[in-house]
Amino acid sequence: MAGITVAVEKPATTPRRARRPLLSRVPALVVGCYLLVAVVGPMVIHYDPVHTSLEDRLLAPGSQVSGGGTAWLGTDGLGRDLLAQIVYGARTAVLIGVSTVALSCLVGVLLGAVAGYFRGAADAVLARIFDVLLAFPAILLAIVIAGAFERSVLLVVVALSATGWITFARVTRGIALSVRERPWVDAARVLGVPGRTILARHVLPFTAGPVVALATLEFALVVLAEAGLSFLGIGLPPSTVSWGQTIANGKEYLETQWWISTLPGIALSLLIVNVGILGDQLTARYGRGRTD
Amino acid sequence: MIRMIVHRLLIGVFVMWGAASLIFLVVRAAPGDPATVLLGPDATRSQLDQLHASLGLDRPLGAQYLSYLGDVCRLDFGESHWLGRPAMGAVLDRLPATIDLTVTATVIAVIVGLTLGMLAGARPGGLLDRVVSACTIALQSFPTFWIGIMLVLVFALTLRLLPSSGVGSPQHLVLPAVTLSFPFVAIIARLTRTSLAETMRESYIQTARSKGLTERQVLFGHALRNSLIPVVTVVGVQVGALVGGAVIVENVFAWPGLGSLVVEAVANRDYTVVQGATLLIAGIVVVLNLMADLLVAQLDPRIRTGAV
Amino acid sequence: MTSTREHGRSRLIRLATTAAAGAALLAACTTTGGEDGGGSSASGDVTVAGTYPIESLDPHGAQGASTGTQLAAQEIFSRLVKPAADGTPEGDLATSWKAGKDVTSWTFTLRSGVTFSDGSALDADDVIASFQRMIALNGPNAGNFPGDTMTKVSATEVVLHSPAPDASVPGKLGTFYVLPSGVGKDDTAFFNHPVGSGPFTVDAFTPSQSLVLVPNTKYQGTKPTLSKVTVRNIPELASRMTALRTGEVDVAWGIPDDQLASLKSQQDLTVKTVPSSAEFTMWFNSSIPALKDAKVRRAIWQAVDFGTIVGKLYPDTGKAADAPVTSVVLGHAAQPAVTYDPAAAKAALTAAGFDFSKKLRLQFANDEFKPFVQAVVSDLQKVGVQVEPLEKEQAVFTEDLLALKWDINFQQLATPSYDAASNLGRLYTCAARRMGYCNKQLDGLLAAAGATADKQRRTDLYARASRIIWQDAVGMYPMSVSIAYAWNSDLKGFVPDASGLPDFATVRTGGS
Repeated sequence: MAGITVAVEKPATTPRRARRPLLSRVPALVVGCYLLVAVVGPMVIHYDPVHTSLEDRLLAPGSQVSGGGTAWLGTDGLGRDLLAQIVYGARTAVLIGVSTVALSCLVGVLLGAVAGYFRGAADAVLARIFDVLLAFPAILLAIVIAGAFERSVLLVVVALSATGWITFARVTRGIALSVRERPWVDAARVLGVPGRTILARHVLPFTAGPVVALATLEFALVVLAEAGLSFLGIGLPPSTVSWGQTIANGKEYLETQWWISTLPGIALSLLIVNVGILGDQLTARYGRGRTD
Repeated sequence: MIRMIVHRLLIGVFVMWGAASLIFLVVRAAPGDPATVLLGPDATRSQLDQLHASLGLDRPLGAQYLSYLGDVCRLDFGESHWLGRPAMGAVLDRLPATIDLTVTATVIAVIVGLTLGMLAGARPGGLLDRVVSACTIALQSFPTFWIGIMLVLVFALTLRLLPSSGVGSPQHLVLPAVTLSFPFVAIIARLTRTSLAETMRESYIQTARSKGLTERQVLFGHALRNSLIPVVTVVGVQVGALVGGAVIVENVFAWPGLGSLVVEAVANRDYTVVQGATLLIAGIVVVLNLMADLLVAQLDPRIRTGAV
Repeated sequence: MTSTREHGRSRLIRLATTAAAGAALLAACTTTGGEDGGGSSASGDVTVAGTYPIESLDPHGAQGASTGTQLAAQEIFSRLVKPAADGTPEGDLATSWKAGKDVTSWTFTLRSGVTFSDGSALDADDVIASFQRMIALNGPNAGNFPGDTMTKVSATEVVLHSPAPDASVPGKLGTFYVLPSGVGKDDTAFFNHPVGSGPFTVDAFTPSQSLVLVPNTKYQGTKPTLSKVTVRNIPELASRMTALRTGEVDVAWGIPDDQLASLKSQQDLTVKTVPSSAEFTMWFNSSIPALKDAKVRRAIWQAVDFGTIVGKLYPDTGKAADAPVTSVVLGHAAQPAVTYDPAAAKAALTAAGFDFSKKLRLQFANDEFKPFVQAVVSDLQKVGVQVEPLEKEQAVFTEDLLALKWDINFQQLATPSYDAASNLGRLYTCAARRMGYCNKQLDGLLAAAGATADKQRRTDLYARASRIIWQDAVGMYPMSVSIAYAWNSDLKGFVPDASGLPDFATVRTGGS
């Protein structure tokens, strides 16, 4: 998560999109599909996480359930449909991923920009906060926070954001540092435009590209980290449907009822691979101002 | 150089204080009383009060904090009432296992990651680059515990090649270290690739090429050294993260490391152990980062001479 | 079914090939591949997979009540009285014991000629010193004996006095271990190489990892035939099961039902379940308006199809409970089964004016019970009762439990003393305030049962108390728990223990 330093060139302006091979659009397409499933899926497939059907527990993919339907992806230890869990889990993943990234991003960009632009005391304080937080392995801090307090989605978001914002702050700070020396910023300063306005109008826009690229990568890490927390049995309340919870619930059945853990694992993995590639593409386009 | 080390050490002291304070706050803000955990639901009021007093929990938070800082300065980390022994003793007991695991995972990650990254970065955009990129993203994208349990099922249960869990012999180290190294391999490979690809576009590489050096000579003689700089920094940071962050792997493989100790101690509200372990981890991270910086300075003469 | 299994296997193989790359690399670094240490039981070595870590060997300290420490302590030290594998108290250091007239004192006659592993004699002074040490250390076991004192009558006789009549003393003494006198509070030197009078002594101990035991040559009973017992802590269930199946460990217990099938199919493993004192106990918070009415509580109980839930989730280790304590506990008296009838439940709730819009908080503490709790919540939802399952950290759970910050509380409640006094007698009184239920008649019965040493009379009194608890639905009592054990069939004489604390003193290794 850490250690990303960005040397900003001017944002790429030449449209290259027309010449990009079709294959490179696949990640964006797949991520789009996931978002679609996350938003629309719950409206199409009905799933009640509270409802259990013990008659149908541990059914293999494609089996008939007692209610007459087919469990296309099998059922879990409480007879709940896995397909529905994956669909609803997508929503939770997107919700947690987006909220965590949004929170990290907001805090990180704000602090980073302020520190980078105004420098001085703010910068020094921020640098020390980085140092302190980086002395903790990110996942350990998340585990300590998530394990210590009452379970909720909000807690997981906060626990994962506790270190997540650092990367954003570092990147933004780097950009702000270099942008503040540009002539047009100097010009604005000379004209007496207040620092806050310069920051908002002339500095922050330059952070957008790299931050978006970073956000995609963070999103992947957050989704993965939630699975880790669920494995340790901390974080989300039992009534929440998430991939992490489903994967963790199936960990004891990996040998015999492999589908419980593996199918949501694949769903998660596929999303992360594509988000990762998308993030790389974005980084390549905006983050470092170069192409692959 | 000396100035830099002194400066970094001062920051290190600050970081230790910050880390100690942060964790002090987090564990005490958490609901749950250590005395109740220790004595269970059947304890009498007087039993609880007695324990609170002997744990020092009856004093105001500020006083607890100050005396804790004072003790830490004297390298006294207190007694763990839960374990019935000095907290730092329990922490140091876990250190060798953590070091074994971290070092092995790092060695694997560096060897495999560098190799993959060099293969990919030598010819950016080539077939090998694409394959490696895909592999590294895949390596990072499955939950660690899933990979761990699968490796156990394959290598311990089905093939009976390796022990499934525990410590004791080099074989016990294989599965946890490999599992732990997966995401780490990916990070190093990707970073090496990017860095190498960038370096290969530098003007001095063009110069080297035009001198008539072979591609291999250019790669190993000029490009690699410079492209290693960001890799070294990140390895420093990541190794630090492994020291306490291997909790999940430790759990799957019953590996008695520091991370799981912290997690257990938090669950038991065993404040002294949480504090002792955290400080040790923070100390290790600080030292590792310092070492990485020194190494970078060795690799990059501009930093060494203070030009940057 | 077949096709999916094929699918599963080929995935494994694909995974194996990709992972092989990493392993191949390491194979170069490691010495010989394959051969691992554990479980060669033919030589008298037994490796045991502990479910819970052994953090400390001090049975009087903070860890004294933990499963890990108890498991170790019973092999290293002796007790006055210990529970047999089925739970009935039997003499260990004491040859006989009897209660005083008003049951406020118990006299124990000690076995003569017992020595510690260092050769020194064990006498009444050691017993008294140990009792005082336990009380002084103020650990969880001290809480079992509030205000009790122990005095010496002669070198072979001690008396335990309690401020109130206490018939469950012999049962409760199962957690009291005798150490040589003169052991200090945090006596690390002693507990690195503890001196005890149990069947084993400590060869090596690494807290929370492993404990290696070897026979105590001075043991006064039948000396163990095993040459070495290693207890290893393997926290993750999947890893524990794998270790058992690969033979890295010889014994494991506390195995979930869904894992038993694959263990049973393995030829060299013996699988057995044994009824324990633990029972799934789901108290209602009778102090809140919604659950004040016994009719409401009974209706909620009736609304859950516990028969199906237990049968499906715990086919091997679960049995419908028929009393607030399980059948291995003294004071157990079977009650009529509560039949599943959602329609009647719904009608009764409506008639009692139950507020269906209010969400009840169901708290529990352990991930392993999540499926059970969720199944209960699902059934209750079917009759319109909204329940929110709240999984809490142990520390928070206990605090909230005592503060009655819950509406329904799920616990797997064990009675380690095998005596209803320490379950019913302790938890269900008005003064205990453990579930907001208060019934003077029940208080009277429980007090009377605690004040007599006559076994028959106690059983009768607890039967009447159980009847009130059951009829008033102070809680729901869905299931009594059995502990599933699996062990290497080469082990002879292994007896699954009802408390989850098996004794290895009588175990032999087979083969020759």
